[in-house]
This record gives sequence, structure tokens and C-alpha cells, in this order.
Amino acid sequence: QRECLSIHVGQAGIQIGDACWELYCLEHGIHPDGFILDNRKDQLESAETEHMDASFNTFFCETRAGKHVPRALFIDLEPTVIDGIRTGKHRSLFHPEQLVSGKEDAANNYARGHYSLGSEIIDLVLERIRKLAEQCSGLQGFLIFRSLGGGTGSGFTSLLMEHLSIQYGRKTKLEFSVYPAPRISTAVVEPYNSILTTHFTLENSDCTFMVDNEALYDICHHKLGVERPSYTIINRLIGQAVSSITASLRFEGPLNVDLNEFQTNLVPYPRIHFPMTAFAPIISADNAYHKDFSVADITTACFEVSNQLVKCDPRLGKYMACCLLYRGDVVPKDVNAAIAAMKSRNSVQFVDWCPTGFKVGINSQPPMTMPGGEMAKVQQAVCMLSNTTAVVEAWARLNHKFDLMYAKKAFLHWYIREGMEEEEFSEARKDLACLEKDYEEVGQSF
Amino acid sequence: MIMNDTLTSDVIGRRVSVNGECATVRFYGTVPPVAGLWLGVEWDNPERGKHDGSHGGTVYFKCSHPTGGSFIRPHKANFGVDFLTALRDRYEDEPEDDAKKQIVTIGNIPVETIGFGSVIKKQSQLSELRDISLRSCAVSCSGDKGDIASTCPNIRVVNLSQNLLSAWEEVTDIAEQLRHLEVLDLSENKLRFPLGSPAPVGTFAALKVLVLNRTGVTWAEVLHCAQGWPALEELYLKSNNISISERPADVLQLVRLLDLSSNQSIDENQLFLIAYLPRLERLILGDIGISSLHFPDAGVGCKTAMFPSLQSLVLDDNRISQWSVINELDKLQSLHSLSCLRNPLTVGSEAKTHLQFIIAKIGQLRTLNRCEIRPEERRGAELDYRKAFGKEWKEAGGHQDPDQDRPSEAFLAAHPRYQALCRKYGAPEDGELKTQQPFLLKNQLLTLKINCPDRPDQKALEKQLPDSMTIQKVKGLLSRLLKVPVSDLLLAYESPKMPGREIELENDQQSLQFYSVENGDCLLVRW
Repeated sequence: QRECLSIHVGQAGIQIGDACWELYCLEHGIHPDGFILDNRKDQLESAETEHMDASFNTFFCETRAGKHVPRALFIDLEPTVIDGIRTGKHRSLFHPEQLVSGKEDAANNYARGHYSLGSEIIDLVLERIRKLAEQCSGLQGFLIFRSLGGGTGSGFTSLLMEHLSIQYGRKTKLEFSVYPAPRISTAVVEPYNSILTTHFTLENSDCTFMVDNEALYDICHHKLGVERPSYTIINRLIGQAVSSITASLRFEGPLNVDLNEFQTNLVPYPRIHFPMTAFAPIISADNAYHKDFSVADITTACFEVSNQLVKCDPRLGKYMACCLLYRGDVVPKDVNAAIAAMKSRNSVQFVDWCPTGFKVGINSQPPMTMPGGEMAKVQQAVCMLSNTTAVVEAWARLNHKFDLMYAKKAFLHWYIREGMEEEEFSEARKDLACLEKDYEEVGQSF
Repeated sequence: MIMNDTLTSDVIGRRVSVNGECATVRFYGTVPPVAGLWLGVEWDNPERGKHDGSHGGTVYFKCSHPTGGSFIRPHKANFGVDFLTALRDRYEDEPEDDAKKQIVTIGNIPVETIGFGSVIKKQSQLSELRDISLRSCAVSCSGDKGDIASTCPNIRVVNLSQNLLSAWEEVTDIAEQLRHLEVLDLSENKLRFPLGSPAPVGTFAALKVLVLNRTGVTWAEVLHCAQGWPALEELYLKSNNISISERPADVLQLVRLLDLSSNQSIDENQLFLIAYLPRLERLILGDIGISSLHFPDAGVGCKTAMFPSLQSLVLDDNRISQWSVINELDKLQSLHSLSCLRNPLTVGSEAKTHLQFIIAKIGQLRTLNRCEIRPEERRGAELDYRKAFGKEWKEAGGHQDPDQDRPSEAFLAAHPRYQALCRKYGAPEDGELKTQQPFLLKNQLLTLKINCPDRPDQKALEKQLPDSMTIQKVKGLLSRLLKVPVSDLLLAYESPKMPGREIELENDQQSLQFYSVENGDCLLVRW
């Protein structure tokens, strides 16, 4: 048993979590109340599928009553968003102790999330995590979902990650972080929060999958035809990506079967751990069955900027590692042919010293979508995880925004009032400048 | 698989592919003076051929297009394979030994495939296959009876699009052996449909989703075969040039989704024939060339009995330019999602305003063009709509006093929700409806009468004064006119709107506008 604990912090983390667990339940045939849908039950009882059973226990814990409870914890410093789960469709899926909320929110302030308010709730959270960990026979590690720009997502997560490193030393910690986008920015201080949390979490996190709201908005607009996407649609899109990334953890699959493997396959140096995600196809439900996307089509699409979940241009950088995860009704013949025929494949540039290479795997579990949702169900899908130096663009943008405000010491008093010092800001900014340089260095030729 | 000379005349009607292009066999025989046997084919692509089936003055077969036909040698035509051969071809594979394997590189890095061996092994267990795709695999028939059932009975989802199936019987032969079949995609197979009984009972018992896009199927054929689809929930019929010719009386009763997009022959009257499908929740009518819609069973402001369960309607890429269409959509009982992109009404410079009007006109709409309508947005749209048409409403007989409120039939027909909006937010005030006058000096001038009540011998004067003129300046003017010192003057005014009441203009620093002096009022001068 190689269990994974999912921790969802702050509004973004919780709402993404809602979308993810909704999708996982659909994929595993679990009802919103935690019980398996009847027609799948027969499958699970047969000896052959015992193996499948074992795989999804990495994410779900089965109680004696036969209920499947997600191995997850939802944390927020104020109750509104978590109340949404407590009263929502999946309220019976989670045990009340898995939903932790405080009384006063972090007000988009890293300092409140990390110091003043976060410190009050951290012990309770760690205790709950301990309880979940005790239900595991062989905990592999943690998946942490949060936004970089919010107060709880930035501040509390960095506090939590620090404690997790102390208490659970060698367990892998994978992050899914929402990178702030100017177009849908809800707070002016997002660059501050993002830089502070990235600096603090850099050494505690093993691999961080970033999703950029702006890229998601563009995908919704151009591929789904939704001009003004709601958070529900955005989160479902993220849910699809997360599902593809965790598919091999939850179903029998050859590639990235455990959290360690993600690290080995994607992270050449500890600090260079920000792979970019792209996936295809993304089709609007109104266009279901109108056009067919072959394995060759979706493979090429992964290398297109419009299918990426982070806005940056890999053509301007170099790849250090790459994984292609196919999902659904995909035959190896088609994959080999698709890759061999890919026109752009020789324009893809790898670093000279590339240790890990290009890995391709197939998970036969078909991709699923929420019924009545925006996306059409497809038979074949692919998700590409690539560690490219081009992702440094995202950090450069954020650092620049940070500098513009910090030069005028704008909004700093909100942080200092909660007990932070200016030195922490300059230290964090220096660390991020070093990160930019690190990326530059790894991209250089010998 | 290529047929040899043992073709028989039942080859007519078969589908073939020649170098990737698909065609239907229309003729088999000799074409003098050239020796040997020929196939006469009608291409799917009407410009691919050389003629319309006649050669040297003789008509061998008929094509619907002058360059739709060709004669080809039988051995050049691919008649396709049976279902199982295609299945085995795709899913049964020998894991390659590394020596044989060609190393593919991306960038300059070799591609490493992980676990393909076990995937191949797993997929080779054909009896375990549930979700398969045989798209473009040249499937033309079902093969020997019973083979499919014994080999891969657990298949639930099959994509058979773009193959060489030529008749519905072939489809039923396959489906009959797949008892758990739930989803079937037959797009781009030009199928001939039977006149007699369509399929053995129980063949499509589990079928929930059927895709017949671009198959050339007619509505009558759909209804005829639909008897055999008792559990069908989703039906896709895009690009078939369908005209809805009859009501589906006892069939398609469980269908929740119907896609009729890109069928240009459909008009609004045909829609009445599908208006009573009890479970129809989602109707896709994109690109059908429709410009109007009406539900004659419901009057203005009433709900129609048609399409009772319809929640989501797609009308993208049509020719809707009239507001009457939107008014009609408000009559649908259950509609809460509408998509009407790329219609004349929703493009152009007025697009944003028009989308707001659509929100206001359809009260229960929750999603427009795939965007959620937030409560504040609905409120804003409804208030704007009420204000925008307030003047028209008043002119048509509308009134803030409910007893006097009698807007004309024509107005109510054009704005069925107007009364409801007035009840929700109150009738619009006159002040809200005033249109801004352009800022011309003449619009700012007040025409005022000037009376001296204590001096009857003084003639009444009339002057035009700007409303921004201060009382001090007015006194100055009057002083010059009446030859009276400024300090002796006392000013007041009265208005025909308030007869008998005088308002003193006591503060010299204030303007006429401050005292609400209006056009037509009378200044009263005393000294």
C-alpha cells in the first residue's frame, strides 16, 4: 500500500479539491456518499481486479461499512468556503474532521496566514494529518493544493510545509500551485504573497505543478468557447489535469506509479522542480462527436503553447525532462507512429546534459468528464509534463511585479503590522533572483 | 484485403476505399471496348471522378454529380475487412524486441516507452476490451456469425467512424453480438437503411448513445430503426441534410440529447414535430440556417407546452436577427441555458447590449453563451432594459399608476416581460427616462416673463436668460431695463406649475437654476 494524502489549503486549494474529488469519484465509480456504484461492485469482487482495488486505495480509505473516504484534508482560515463543502453535494463523502476551518480569514496577507492566524491552527491541522497518516500502512507522501497569491494559500502552506518536513522527513511532497494572473487578480499584493511563499517553500517541496489562471482563461475562451469562465469551469479543467497526473497513482499504470518516480523523472536539481503541464484534447461539450482527434493530433497539440497550463514559450527555452502520459483507448502502435511523424519534434531542444530523457506511458483508464459539464468526453487523451527552462518567464514576470511595488514599499505595512520584517521580503526576493539564475545556468550549453 | 475476380453482382452498393478516398460501388461488369471487368464507383468527393456514370454514349450507372464517377479495376479497390480482423490488427500486437525497434528521437533525445509491453499484453486480451476505437480501419462487415460474441463480448463503447460499412444490417450484425453496447459512433459511414424489420429484438437493448453524423440517414429511417433503440438517451445527427418529416410517436421517448446541427433543411415548423419528446433536455440546432421560431400554443407572456423538459438550447451560427425569437424562447418552461453565438443579433457593435437584453428577456436563463449569469448581472441587465424601453412604454400607454397603466398590445408583444420587470423593480420614474439634451446654449436659456406687480403701468417684458445667471446679474440687467437702482430691487418668481405661490430670490450669489426657475416662469420685480 502506497497511500497519498491530499491537503487542500485556502479557497483555491479547496475548490480545486472539490473538483478533483468529484472527478475521482466518477472515475472510480464512487457515489457522492462514498459507496461504490452497484454495477462496479461485481467487478471489484473478482480476483483479477483486486489489483485495481489496491491501486485506488492509494487515494481512498475503505471503512468497515464499505464506505470509501478520501485521504484528504481541507484547511481554511475562515469558514465560508469549507461550509460550501460541508453543505454541498459531497458532504457525506468526507468525515467532519477532514474539514478544518478557522474563524477569521487571512485577508490576502501572507503574514496572517503564516504568523498570526496560521500559528493558532497549525497544531490542530498537524494532529489531523497525524490521524490520517496512521490509517496508512505505507504513506508515500503528500499532494498539496493551494494558490500562491492568497493569504492562506501562501502563508499557511509555507508554515505547514515546514512542519511536514520536520515531522515526516523523507516523505515526498508534491504541490499543485495556482500562479497569479493579472487578468483575474483579486488582490494587488499577490506578487508579495507569491514570492514570499515560494522562497519559504522552495526547499520543502519536491515538485511543484503550476497552473496559471491566465493560461486557463485562454483555454476556456479559445477551446471551450466560454468568454467569461466561472471558477467552476476553471477548476474542472484543473481537475482534468490533476486527474491525468495522478492517474498512474490511482489506477494500474506503468509510468509515474509513485510520487518518488515523479521526482526521478522530472526533477534534475532540487530547486529546478517546476514542471509545466499541457494536455489535449480540450473540446467543448457542444462539439461532442463533431471532430475526431487522433493520437497524432493530440500528441502535436501538447507542444502547442495554447494547450499549456502555464503561460510561457518552451521554444525559447530548453527541456530538461519530459513525460507523455496517454490515457484511454491508446495503442502503442499509434503512439510510436504519432511520435515518429511529429513534424516539430526536431525543433524541440533538450539541454546537453539531459539525464532523464523523454518518457512515454499509457494508462488504459478512459478519461472522464462531469456530466453536464463544459468539456466533451473523449476516448483518448494525453498529458505532457515537461521541465523546461522557459518556465523561468513566469518567475521573471512575478519578480518584476514584486519589484515595482517593493521599490515604493507599497502595502508593506500590512505585513509588518502582523509581525513580519522587511528583511524577509528582501531575502525572499534574493532567493527568487537566484532561482532565475539557476534556470539560466542549467539552460546553458557546455 | 483486396478482392479477386470472384466478385459477384452483390458487390453493388458496397463501400470501398481507393488510396484513402471512399466511394460506393454502383456497377460491375464490362465496359467495351476495353477488355476485362470494371467497377463503376461513385466517389464521396463529387469532384474526384471523371464522369457521371456514362461512357461512350451508354449509361452504366447514375451519379448525382457530373464528375462523381469513375471506372476502376477491381483489384485497385479495398473492400475492407471484417470487424474482428480490424480489432485484432489494432489491439493484438507482438511486443517488439529491442533489436527490431527503431529508435525515435525528439530533439536529440531517444524516446523511452515505459510499460508498452504490458499494455500490449493487456490489450491483446480481447475479451477484456470495453472501450475501443476502430476509426478508419476499413471495417466493412461483421464477419462470421458468433465470432464477435465469443471474442470480445464485453465491449461497451465502439467508435466505428469513417469505415466502409454500407448497410444497417452490417451494423446490427455486429451490435447483436455485443450485448453490453452502450455507445456507438458510426459517423461518416454512408449507410443504406432497411425497409423491413430493422433488427432482431434486444440488439440495441443497452444502447444509450448513437452517433450518426454525416451518414446520409433520413429522419424516416431514424424513426424506423428507433424502434430497436429503447434505451437511447443521446442521438447525434449532424450534417445529414435531414428534414424532420414526422413525429416520433412511440420511439425516442427517453432521448435527453438531440444534435441536429448543420442540417440546413430544417425549418421552424419542423421543430413542432419533435416538440413533445418528454425527456428532451438538450437540443443542438447550430448552423441550420434558422431565422425564426415561434410557439403558437402560447400567447404573449405565457408558457408553451412544447419542449417541456428542454433545459439547454444551442442556436449558434444561425440567422437570427429578430427580437421576436428571443421573446418566444421565454415561453419555454424549463430553459435555463442558451447559446446563440454568431447570429446577426449577437454580433457587431451592439453585441454586448443585445446580450444584456437577452438576459432581461428570458427570465429564468442561468447561462448565456456558456457564461454563468450572476445575480448582479441579471439585476443590471433587467434594470437597463426597463430604462432603455421606458420611453416607448410610456408612449405606448404605460403609466406609473397601475390603474392607468395600459400599454398597447404591440408594445406587450415586443416586450412581454416589461410588466413583470415593472412589478419587480417598480415602474420607471420619469426622471430616469429623460433623454439628455445636447449641450447647446439655446437649450440652456430660459424664456422668462418679467412682471412688475406693483407698477401696473409697466409693460410686461420677456427675456431669455441662461439658468446659470446669478440673481445679482439678473438684478443688474433689470436695473438697466427699468431704470431702477440695483439695491432697490426685490425679486421673486412664480411658476404656472404652482399658481398663487411666490418664491423669493433672496440670495444674490445663487443662480436661477439654484431656485429651480424653469422655462415659462415669471419673474416678479418690486421696488
